[in-house]
Amino acid sequence: MSTKAPAVGVAYQIPRNSLALLMVAQLVVIIPHTLQLSVWIVAVALFCGLWRTQIYRGRWNYPNSWVRAALVVISIVGVGLGAATGGSMSFSLEAATSLLVLAFALKLLEMKNRRDAYLVIFLSYFVISTQFLFDQSLPVALYEMFATVVVTAALVGLHQLHSQVRPLASIKLATWLIAQAIPLTVVLFLLFPRVGPIWSVPMPGGHQTGIGEHLTPGDVASLSQSDELAFRAVFKSRIPAHRDLYWRGLVYSQFAGGTWSVGTSDITDLDAPARRPEEAKPQSAETMAQAAEGLASIDYQVMLQPTGSDWLYALDVALPRTPTLYRTDDYRLVNNTPVLSVMRYDVRSYPDLLMSPGGLSLRQRYVETALPEADNPRIRELATQLWQQTGEVEAFANAVMAQIREQPFYYTLQPPKLPSDNSIDAFWFDTKRGFCTHYAGALVFLARAANIPARMVGGYQGGEINPITGHLVVRQYDAHAWVELWDEQAGWQRFDPTASVAPQRIEEGLDAALSSTDRASLPTLSALRLADWESLTDALQWLDSLEHRWNLWVVGFDANQQAGVLRELLGKVEPWRIALALLFTGAISLGLAAAIVFWRRRAEPLAPEVKLFQRFGRLGASAGVPRAPHEGPSSYLPRLAQEKGLVVEDMQGCVEDLEQVMYNSSADQNPAERQQALRRIRQQLRRLQVRLALSN
Amino acid sequence: MSAASANPQQDANPSLPGAATGTTSRRSKRFDRWLEARIPPSASITLSQRNIFIFPTRTGFAYSGLLLLLILGAINYQASLVYGMAFLLGSLFLITILYTFRNLSGLTFELVSHRPAFVGENLEFSVRVVRPKQHPREGIQLGWPAGDKQWAELFETSTDVARLYVPAERRGLHNPGRLLVETFFPLGLLRAWTWIDLDARGLTYPKPIFDDYPAQGSGNRTDGSLIDPAGSEDFTDLRVYQPGDPLKHVLWRSYAKSDDLMVKNYASYVEPRLWFDLESLPGGLEERLSRMAGLALKAVREDREFGARIGPRVIAPAKGQQHLDQVLRELGLYGVH
Repeated sequence: MSTKAPAVGVAYQIPRNSLALLMVAQLVVIIPHTLQLSVWIVAVALFCGLWRTQIYRGRWNYPNSWVRAALVVISIVGVGLGAATGGSMSFSLEAATSLLVLAFALKLLEMKNRRDAYLVIFLSYFVISTQFLFDQSLPVALYEMFATVVVTAALVGLHQLHSQVRPLASIKLATWLIAQAIPLTVVLFLLFPRVGPIWSVPMPGGHQTGIGEHLTPGDVASLSQSDELAFRAVFKSRIPAHRDLYWRGLVYSQFAGGTWSVGTSDITDLDAPARRPEEAKPQSAETMAQAAEGLASIDYQVMLQPTGSDWLYALDVALPRTPTLYRTDDYRLVNNTPVLSVMRYDVRSYPDLLMSPGGLSLRQRYVETALPEADNPRIRELATQLWQQTGEVEAFANAVMAQIREQPFYYTLQPPKLPSDNSIDAFWFDTKRGFCTHYAGALVFLARAANIPARMVGGYQGGEINPITGHLVVRQYDAHAWVELWDEQAGWQRFDPTASVAPQRIEEGLDAALSSTDRASLPTLSALRLADWESLTDALQWLDSLEHRWNLWVVGFDANQQAGVLRELLGKVEPWRIALALLFTGAISLGLAAAIVFWRRRAEPLAPEVKLFQRFGRLGASAGVPRAPHEGPSSYLPRLAQEKGLVVEDMQGCVEDLEQVMYNSSADQNPAERQQALRRIRQQLRRLQVRLALSN
Repeated sequence: MSAASANPQQDANPSLPGAATGTTSRRSKRFDRWLEARIPPSASITLSQRNIFIFPTRTGFAYSGLLLLLILGAINYQASLVYGMAFLLGSLFLITILYTFRNLSGLTFELVSHRPAFVGENLEFSVRVVRPKQHPREGIQLGWPAGDKQWAELFETSTDVARLYVPAERRGLHNPGRLLVETFFPLGLLRAWTWIDLDARGLTYPKPIFDDYPAQGSGNRTDGSLIDPAGSEDFTDLRVYQPGDPLKHVLWRSYAKSDDLMVKNYASYVEPRLWFDLESLPGGLEERLSRMAGLALKAVREDREFGARIGPRVIAPAKGQQHLDQVLRELGLYGVH
């Protein structure tokens, strides 16, 4: 063993077939990341891709070490600067992804041997997976599935024929492989035990959508431009009427400079004593449950799209039924972390339950009646006047709403701009055009000016029922603001002044309340969604139901839902049952794949002359003279005859016939003669059989 | 062919081979014994679950590491689709086991021919690989551990003959050991392989040492024919002209005397036939064998007739490739088998 033989040279190179696929795969994998990454990173990646393509085509050379070093330095400095200017010095998920994509792109430039190719392919799989941290929607999932096929094709190409460039064959095989892997994937997805996070990780700093903590009249109007999904809700029973669907999100208790802001609200602490003797104790879950006994309830599940904030949406008065949720003392629901991916939570709502039955604390009363010093004088005057006329909360509110109804107020998505000083005066007495926030703001101001505790509530109102799956779809254009006034007897009461100016908005939804100019101002897709185009609406609803099911069964499939599925499948959730189910179903799905892989078409039937020749050989073999592999009929017969002491001159014709039909191409043979020859051979073989038997 | 098996020099010379051991450096003795029982030597072997081994490659382990990383990420980010991706890649791995196994399963290997070589050269073995008709195969390599690996091209055709080269290191008839057949198809995550014994025997001739012919014994001159009758050097006799005789040879003087046209007959003296005797060559046994191989090659190249005495064996004088092969074969096997 003097020399350790080197393997065949090509074994260490990347076949061109695979190389081409690798470059395509890199492009395919990076494309969706361009939404999250800075432009310069995309530029660097494209530059590396171009360079590699030129190397592939034999135009350029591999970059020398200086160029590579420069690219690495640029990348690291760039990512560092990006993180620094982005505000946080911490290592965010975005920075990590940027580095990953850059490393991935740079690796292309020094991809020469198989190991490099493996590294690039594994990085590709990794980059595909990181995309799911940002977006798990159905289209993205489908796209990444395609990307996985391309990357796998590159991996397949590494081990295919080296002599030909056949990317399509690689893609076909990769598709087959992945298609066969899917049943097993489903089994693992359903049965593989899900556990909670092991350690905390930087989360994507997702963009905030929906209503915010500060609300200026006009904000909601701009939200109305968007047909983006806010959440879907699945009701266990009948969906309440459109006018009752007030999805409480935020409570705005502070007003300054024309802007409403969220007050400081505390998470309900069940056992905490009141902080001051005169402070009313917030209602505990226990007393709330007692109070709710016998009242009508609505059970539903909400699948909230990522908002980047921690507040959730629910119908009044909501009791959370998912462990990570808390209820604040202003009856909102919040999650313990910001909602960064589709979140599902269960809620039970009691529409008739009283809010704050224990009364308002002094602090609350102060907060809910506070107004800036000496602005909006005209509306303050109006409030005093109306209070003198009514002297009672409900009557007061009704009087305000009657004014809205009777005076020429208009509901519009394009309200005129208001000054920041005395904005409510300007709206109420001068412009008289506004959106829900204008009307709600005015009512709260009027009530507070009359010393009635009042606050604005923001969230969504209404929603559209998808007839296919029966869930409710709430979109950003359903954003809404309404008012709660404090009544000493009835507690917090909901009033919606928008119902006075545009009752259709509350009864039927935004579309019914829009004027034609408003509608023209909407982006196309929102307008189309709102319009009553039957075929398009059907298609959109179908897509929505698909996306809903996707969220329900795939994206939202967590430990909770898994437990439900397991209970249904296995009866009881026990480790050994799960293990057994996993083994059993895993074996079935693998067996299925194995059946496909090892399935062979039945061998083609042998030609009659070949069968006869084989029979000839068998005859001789059973007589003790097996045919040697190289012997044809005419050389085997004499040997057989000699060894068995037979005279076979009369069989010469048979052997010639056999060679004729076996070795002449079938095109040259006359079918009738061929059949005759076969018949003659059969006869002769029968005679030979007899003679061999006799000779023994 | 083994009258010399009791040759005392065989044991004295440490460079002489015992039984051929081709691949023991890579596999333990115990594994060899087990393999012997599991895959017995045979001229033709068809691969099945009985004789195919399969195990993840280093790349496969790295891939598993990637899967672990993805699962960790999925747990920490509670991202269902990252779970999904990890499960898909994991399932892909499992499916690949079937494909990698199937790539070897059903292949039939058969030794077709072998070409002898001199020590220091490469023995050539031709191995025919036949696949079942329905399933094209790709990425199959085969080779003896001591030699290079070759690809078996079984995609378009169902039969391929791979020419495998193994360095010929020692004189004699050697089994190159077990033939490695392996594949990493389709993803390189798994390696399916087998060690088959095709009962191959490669004949290795001694490495030739070229030298002048040794002085031939005096008796040799009379041994066999001395004269090439078609030569042109020495005049031997006269005969009657026949059409086609060169005019140069016509004896014009005698034509003047008589009507008979006479031609002179010329002949050349041929070099005497050669005899090589192993015992009479200088050096140790291996050197003598090498010298004799060199002499035989030289004689054949010069188209000389030669005979050989190799130990007790006497090979009658003859010419040509077949004769050479016979002599070289004797030299290769001398004292070994």
